[in-house]
Amino acid sequence: MELHVWGEAFGLPSIDPECLAAISYLHHAVPRSEWSLIASNDVSVSPDYVLPALHHAGTWISGYLNIVQHLAAHTSFTSADDDLTEAQRADALAYASYLSSRGSALLAFFLYVSPSAWTELTRPAYSSLLRFPLTWTVPLKIRSAAIAKTEHLGLDHLAADVDPEDGSSESKVTAPVTATGFLRLPTRPSVSVSMQPEQAAAIRLQSLLEDFFLTLDELRGNKAYFLGDEKPTSLDFLAFGYLRLLRVRTPHPFVEKCMARNPAGANLIKFLDTMQTNIIQWKDGYTLPWTRPAAQSLVTLTSRFADNATENIPGVGDSWKSWRGDGVKESDGTRDPTQVLFAVGAAVAGLAAVGGAVAFKALSPFGDTSHRWDAPKAGLYQFGDIGTIFGSLPGFESPASPPIPSPMERDTVYQGEKVEVAVDVEP
Amino acid sequence: MSQASAAAAAAPGPATTTPAAPHRTAPRSGWFTIPEPLRLVFRQFPLVTYAPNELPLRSPSNRDLPVLYVFASDQDAWKGLPSYNPSCLKWQTFLKLAGVQFRIAPSSNHASPTGALPFLIPSSSPSDAASQMPIPSNKLERYALEKGAEKLADTTGSKLDAYQTLLDHRIRNAWLYALYLSPGNSSLLSQLYVEPCSASMVVRTTIMHKLRRAAEAEVLQSIGAPRVPPTTLYIGAEQAFEALSAGLGSDEWFFGNSRPGLFDAAVFAYTHLLLDDNLAWIDTRLRDSLLKFPALVEHRKRLLSRCWGKTE
Repeated sequence: MELHVWGEAFGLPSIDPECLAAISYLHHAVPRSEWSLIASNDVSVSPDYVLPALHHAGTWISGYLNIVQHLAAHTSFTSADDDLTEAQRADALAYASYLSSRGSALLAFFLYVSPSAWTELTRPAYSSLLRFPLTWTVPLKIRSAAIAKTEHLGLDHLAADVDPEDGSSESKVTAPVTATGFLRLPTRPSVSVSMQPEQAAAIRLQSLLEDFFLTLDELRGNKAYFLGDEKPTSLDFLAFGYLRLLRVRTPHPFVEKCMARNPAGANLIKFLDTMQTNIIQWKDGYTLPWTRPAAQSLVTLTSRFADNATENIPGVGDSWKSWRGDGVKESDGTRDPTQVLFAVGAAVAGLAAVGGAVAFKALSPFGDTSHRWDAPKAGLYQFGDIGTIFGSLPGFESPASPPIPSPMERDTVYQGEKVEVAVDVEP
Repeated sequence: MSQASAAAAAAPGPATTTPAAPHRTAPRSGWFTIPEPLRLVFRQFPLVTYAPNELPLRSPSNRDLPVLYVFASDQDAWKGLPSYNPSCLKWQTFLKLAGVQFRIAPSSNHASPTGALPFLIPSSSPSDAASQMPIPSNKLERYALEKGAEKLADTTGSKLDAYQTLLDHRIRNAWLYALYLSPGNSSLLSQLYVEPCSASMVVRTTIMHKLRRAAEAEVLQSIGAPRVPPTTLYIGAEQAFEALSAGLGSDEWFFGNSRPGLFDAAVFAYTHLLLDDNLAWIDTRLRDSLLKFPALVEHRKRLLSRCWGKTE
C-alpha cells in the first residue's frame, strides 16, 4: 500500500499535521515492508483532494481517521483502537474533531497567517517541496485557506495588517498641533489604545492556546497516553502530529514559551517526549520507506499551474471551480440546471463586457489632437472647391483673398506639445 | 415686458412687498423663482392625505418582556413555538431552560446588529438607553445565567469543548448539505428561508442561489477540501451521532448533570429539527442516521416536554 503525503519540512517527515500523524501511525501499526511513503505534494492524486491519502487494493482513502478505520476494517494488522470501550471511542472521535478544528486553526495561525513565520519558514518550505511554476500558486492557495480557517478565532485580520519587516502595524502618528494651530495637549492613551494589534492578539492567543492545552491535558490526566497507560491509540498519533508541528521553532517562539510556562502545556511536552522516545523511531536515523513519486511531465505541471491561475481570475474563478466539479455534490455527473443558466449568463455578460470595451476603444477620441482655424473666407473661396478653382484664375482675382505670405513674413508665436500658433505678418 | 411684470406681481414675497420698477423685478425672476405654471401645479399638493398606518401586528406591544429575535414564521412566533434555525433554537431552548421569561419575534439576519440571528433586546424603559442595547448570541449565555430563575448545569469543561466540535463541524456540515444543497429538500428550504423574503420569482431564485453558494462555501471550508461527496458528510454525521449517543450513555442529560445545560440545548437544536414532523424532509438520510440512536431520540423528547410541555 502507498501513503501519499505532503513532504518533509522543519526536520519532520511532513509539513501537514494529519500527514505526520498518518506516517507515525502506519510506521507504528504496519511492518515496514508492507507500505511505501510517497511525498506526492499534490492533492489531486486522491479523488477527495485531501492528503494524506492511502492507496490500497485499488481504492483511495483520504484523511487520517478514514485511513485508520480502513486499516482496522480491511487489513490484518492489529489496530491500535481495538481495546477501546464505546465511551472511549466516542471520546476519541470528539477529541479528534477538536484537534482538527481548534488545533488546525491554531497551527494555521502560527505557521501560515503569522507574516514572519510565513516568509521565513513556511513559504520557503513549500518552495523546496514544489516544482517551479507551482511555487507561485499552490502556497498562496494554502495560505488563503489557512487565513479562512482562523477567521472564527478572530485573528485573520493580522495577516493583512502586520508589516513583515518590523512586525508592527502602521504607527498611529497624530499631529502635534491642532487644525487651528494650537499645540495639542498630550493625551494619556488608555491601555487598549496604546496596545499594538499583535499585543492584543497575543493576549487572546495565549488564552486560546491555554484552553487548547488544558482541554487535551484533562483528557490525558495522569495516564501515559490519552486513553490508556499501556499503548497509544490513533488519537495519540493525531495529537502528536498537531502538537509536534506547534512546537516548530518559529521566528517568534510564542507557542514554545507559552507551552513551557503553562502546567498543562508542560504535561503535553512530556507526552511528546514519551511518544518520541517510545513510539516514534524515525527520530533516530530510522529511515521511513520513502519512494520517489512518479515524475510529473511538463504538460501535467503546466496544466496544474494553468488550473491554479484560472482559479484566481476574478469573476471567472468560481465558475471554473464549479465547472471542474468542485463543491458539495453527488459524483454522478448531473449538473444543476440553474448552474448551467448562471454559467451561460456569466458567459454572455463577459462577452458583452469585452464587446463594450472593444467598441469603446473603437470610438473616435473626443476632440482631435490638432485643430485648424482658417481666416474667414472671402470672395470666391467661400464657395468651396469650385470657388477655389475659379478664385485661382487670374481674371477672378478678388481683392479680399489673402495673399500667400512668404516664409519670411510668417512668425511662430507659440509652440507647445500639441499646439502651434503661427501668425502671418503683413508687410 | 408686460408679461414679465405680471408674473413678478403675482409672485409672493419681496417682489410684492416692495413694489419696484419693472426693470428691477426682472432679475428677481431668475434662477430661484419657480415659473408660474409650475407653481400652480405644486399648489395642488397634497392631493390626498391618508390616515396614519397602524403599527404591524408583530411590532412590540409592550416592552415588559425581553424579546428574542429568531427565524420563525409569524404564527409560530406568536405561539412561542421552536424556531426552525438550529442556532436560534439552541438559544431559545437555553433561555427557556434558564427560566428567563421572554417572547420571540420573527426577524432576519439583516435586522441583527451582528449580522446573524438570534439577538435579544432586553425589557426596557424608554428613558433608560443602556437597557435597550441588543444582546448578541455570544453574550446570551451570561445574560441567561444572570437573569434566569433556574440554576443551570456548569457549562465549562474540557469534554464539552471537544464534543461541541462534533456538533459544529460534522453535524452542522451534514445539516447544511441536507437542508441547503440536497435537491430533494429544496422545497423545504424554499418554504423556510426563501418564500418569506419575497413574492418575486427573480428575487427568490437569486436568494436561493446565494443561500446555496454560502452553505457550500461553509461546508468546503470546514472540511478543507475543494470537493466533498455528500455521503462523506452523512457518514461523518452518523459517526458524530454515535459518539454523542455513547457520550450521553444511559444518563438523562449530557455529562452526567442533573439538569440540562447549554450543550443539551445545542444537541436538541439539531435533533428536534430533524425529528420534527412539521418539517417536510424529503431527503431523510440525516434523519434516518439519527433514528439509529434511541438515546438521542429520547433526549429530544425529554427536552421538548420540559420546555414546551408536550409529547409527540
